[in-house]
Amino acid sequence: MSTFFVRAPSGTGKTTLVHILYHLRKDHEGSVQWGDINMSAIGPEELAALRSNNISIIFQDMRLFPELTAWENLDIKRRLSNTVSPEQVEEWMTRLGIQDKKNSLGRTLSYGEQQRVAIIRALLQPFDWLLMDEPFSHLDHSNTDKARKLIEEIVAQHGAGMILADLDENEYFKYTKTIVL
Amino acid sequence: MSAKTQIEMLRKLLIGNKSRSRLWGALFALFMGTTMLLLTVMIWWNFNELLYGKSQYDTLGSTFLVIGKRITQENVSASHTFSQQDIDSLKQVPEVQDLGILTSNHFPAYARLGGKLAFNTDIFMEAAPDRFLDNMPSEWKWEPGSNDLPIILSSQFLDLYNYLFAPGQGLPQLSESSIKAIAVNIEVGTGPGMLRYTAHVVGFSDRISSVLAPASFIEYNNKIFGKPGDVEASRLILKAKDPSNTKFASYIESHGYTTNSQNMRWSKIRSIVEVVTTATGFLSIVLMGIGALVFILFIELTIAKAQHSLTLLLELGYSPKYLGKFMMSRFMPLVLITIVISMCIAIASQLVASVMVKQLLLTLPVFPGWPVWLALIISSSILFTLVGRAIMKAVKNDVLS
Repeated sequence: MSTFFVRAPSGTGKTTLVHILYHLRKDHEGSVQWGDINMSAIGPEELAALRSNNISIIFQDMRLFPELTAWENLDIKRRLSNTVSPEQVEEWMTRLGIQDKKNSLGRTLSYGEQQRVAIIRALLQPFDWLLMDEPFSHLDHSNTDKARKLIEEIVAQHGAGMILADLDENEYFKYTKTIVL
Repeated sequence: MSAKTQIEMLRKLLIGNKSRSRLWGALFALFMGTTMLLLTVMIWWNFNELLYGKSQYDTLGSTFLVIGKRITQENVSASHTFSQQDIDSLKQVPEVQDLGILTSNHFPAYARLGGKLAFNTDIFMEAAPDRFLDNMPSEWKWEPGSNDLPIILSSQFLDLYNYLFAPGQGLPQLSESSIKAIAVNIEVGTGPGMLRYTAHVVGFSDRISSVLAPASFIEYNNKIFGKPGDVEASRLILKAKDPSNTKFASYIESHGYTTNSQNMRWSKIRSIVEVVTTATGFLSIVLMGIGALVFILFIELTIAKAQHSLTLLLELGYSPKYLGKFMMSRFMPLVLITIVISMCIAIASQLVASVMVKQLLLTLPVFPGWPVWLALIISSSILFTLVGRAIMKAVKNDVLS
């Protein structure tokens, strides 16, 4: 599967592009097509099915539920498709070093911790494509490397493709194509 | 490991615990609206039952009138009985629900009593169809050959005796039960064919001012002692829907009939009750509407407060239908419980009402009638539809925004 890297400086439309692909924004020209699905004609139920089975996302702004704990933030996504066991989630939390934050509320987590929760959450469903909007912006090198390896492993398991949008040149993954905006 | 289920997490995100007092307030408004609506329909239906019910007992809606032909200086020598034509004409009057002939005795009757209250007097007797009697004592029957004669006496006669006659004559005043204990000898007819009976007062009537004997008794003796063809109705008893109706009143007046005008005035109260009940009904519908509106606004407020969570759940892949169903599963049981409690109150009120009116010698069913159930079905269907639509609209708006 392909891995695309969209590289562009701040304010040039990376997040807009990712949101358009995920159908969060409809104020654009042209059309988005995921396989046979034309996104401009998609219905609410079909969109929900696409988001829970085919396309997953790591938001730039993490978007956790502040009133839920780290574990609950993951569990509410996990239970949607129930394809990953709770034990597996615990193991991934341990790998990314946030096991001790399991019962901390989303609102009390640091940005780095929130970003790691958001990364694990994106991997808790079956998907064909993983969209990532500056997924490691709040992580240090060590944690970035751990998260990168986990993503690579799970994406390979699903045989999925990736679209990563970021500011600078990087070698997080082996990109099949780089698009510079 | 956290034991929180998906439902509990969704509840935490979408409903929360902070709006408990608002929820109770909204439910109370809904409960008041529903209860008022059901009780009003119930009151309206109960009044209808009392006014126009088919019960053999008294109803408020029917007034019993005894009518006769007015005797004046000019017509004193004319006949004052009702012809078959008069009777047929009266039956056609819309306000007349039922009509009965009061048959008087066409034979000489004589009453004798010994002891302290001794008297001998000529008496009159009358028979009314049983369905017009305001009470039906179990002893109320007579067959040819029977020596015991049951009598129903007008309560007015007892009052006249107790308050006017007895004090002046130095006689003891009598209660209803002491009168019932007295046996009076009745002699019917004259000469060797005279028949003797032992009469007992078995009841009192507020409706007919007369000495009533069973119809079989009057008919039997009229046949024996009366002349053939002379048994014409001198008085009629009418069950009238609304004697205050001007057309009915003018009919009575124009035909020269006499009746108790008090009854005709009294029935105007009924029209006022009907207007008040109808007005209250409209008010209750408005109240129910406000109650439903408050509850729906509460749901919309709850969804608006949970907008951030709802949006994120949809972004994570939760289906709008699933979230809509979840919201409904939270709110619908509350609506259902509220409606059930309202209906229980209506059922209990009906039971209490039926017991209370029994003391007034009126009858009402123990369970609410079909209009109450119909109001329940219609109002809850509308309510469930509105609540369901409000929820789905709020969820879908989020997807489309």
